[in-house]
Amino acid sequence: MTPPLARPLVSAPHSSEGTNDDGAPPRQARSPISAPAIAPLVQFPPAAEEEATTAIKVDIRNIKFFYGKVQALHGISLPLHDRRVTAFIGPSGCGKSTLLRILNRIYELYPGQTATGEVYLDGANILTPGLDVNRLRAKIGMVFQKPTPFPMSIYDNVAFGIGLYEKLPKSELDDRVESAVRRAALWDEVKDKLRDSGLSLSGGQQQRLCIARAIAVEPEVLLLDEPASALDPISTQRIEELIAELKTDYCIAIVTHNMQQAARSSDYTAFLYLGELVEFDETERIFTHPRERRTEDYITGRFG
Amino acid sequence: MPAEHIIKSYDEELARLNKMVVEMGGLAESQLADAIEAVVKRDSALAARVVEGDAPVDQLERDLDNLAIRLLALRQPMARDLREIFVALKIASDLERICDYAANVAKRSIALSQAPPVQLVHALPRMAQFALVLVKDVIDAYVEHDADKAIAVWTRDEELDEMYSSLFREFLTYMMEDPRNIGACTHLLFMAKNIERIGDHATNIAENLYYLVHGTPLTQARPKGDKSSLEVIAPSRAGTR
Repeated sequence: MTPPLARPLVSAPHSSEGTNDDGAPPRQARSPISAPAIAPLVQFPPAAEEEATTAIKVDIRNIKFFYGKVQALHGISLPLHDRRVTAFIGPSGCGKSTLLRILNRIYELYPGQTATGEVYLDGANILTPGLDVNRLRAKIGMVFQKPTPFPMSIYDNVAFGIGLYEKLPKSELDDRVESAVRRAALWDEVKDKLRDSGLSLSGGQQQRLCIARAIAVEPEVLLLDEPASALDPISTQRIEELIAELKTDYCIAIVTHNMQQAARSSDYTAFLYLGELVEFDETERIFTHPRERRTEDYITGRFG
Repeated sequence: MPAEHIIKSYDEELARLNKMVVEMGGLAESQLADAIEAVVKRDSALAARVVEGDAPVDQLERDLDNLAIRLLALRQPMARDLREIFVALKIASDLERICDYAANVAKRSIALSQAPPVQLVHALPRMAQFALVLVKDVIDAYVEHDADKAIAVWTRDEELDEMYSSLFREFLTYMMEDPRNIGACTHLLFMAKNIERIGDHATNIAENLYYLVHGTPLTQARPKGDKSSLEVIAPSRAGTR
């Protein structure tokens, strides 16, 4: 991770106003007085992209979850940073998918499933009773393990979600569909057959179609539940590349059983075991020298 | 050692890698010990065996590299396993260098033995014995994965550096006293330098071992005792003696 630049490297060498007396970095790269403005050799991206850590988008606090009487999560607390990818890893049944399902309250569709604790999305608790779940799900999109295209055209698959939340004129809807399909890195493959059935696509394409459908409604958080586990290596890499692209705009949480995938595509990793959060840290730390013995045993393939 | 892997062959391969490093370590030890003996006993036959003994070490290193590459490609190791393999590679190359230096000492001892015996040869073996202890200890530390032992070696290298510095001055003095010493002393100086380098490789191994055990590099600056590179050679003063 690159450290944030302490001060702009672009100083104004010919300007006495370049640096302030207190040594603070010059606020302007080009002083209005300095005669020939020297163009910087290297353009640095705005400071926002240099941040080592970003704001916490979703703050999960002491989440407990019950399937009827069976407790599946025992008080999980962790943050999901904005414009970062957080991976949830752990053996089957450890509660990582359950945790993901809480974040957009999908579990409520099933009787007997209850969650306690708080999940703050930009400071507001999304587990508050009476909250508009449809609006929540527009903000927090989800993609599942198996591609789930609707039995309709490629175009309609993407437009469908938009139609649920807003009524757009045809031309705007076209634009929105195109931009979502483009962002999902699927456009070139389907642009000439948008009226074909979504089911006619390959598995990897279907999964990208589902991602397009999820981002078409312009969510803020993207939940990916093993998005590549049913895909071949090429499609998997496309999805991973897509995740890297999408994280510039979204807060992304991904559940994966593929250790290398978690290591490659996430910034933070949470290791869950038996419904407990064993360790949460920067991905690099987790996969090079984790603090917890259980994490180390799991990622190195020593779990009995 | 941590718990076993679910895939048993992975453990076997890691154990094999480990064994190869230890085997290389054993060879480095015996090569150095033999080289010292060849110097002390002016035994050219033994020295020749040391020189020949370098090739098997190189072969062992190549085999180790292959196994490590294989493990990296096929097992995609993480955390401790990754460090284990990475460090084995690095240690192997240090051990290979140690053997090179031992072979060079042996080679020079052959040249030295052809000249009449010089009393100054005795200063060298003491330093070489100390280097041998460092190599032995660091290999023991590796066998036990004992980072504390490694640090002990790492600190003691300073002594070796100091020994080298004083040998350097000693040889310089001999050469100034009698130009006929220059031939032997030049060889001895190179031998001393080689042995000093062996100590540095032992400390490299110690640093890598520390990283293997703790997952963080040993970042402190190491105490250094070799000041010979700052030595000013002034023959005019020697002439006035």
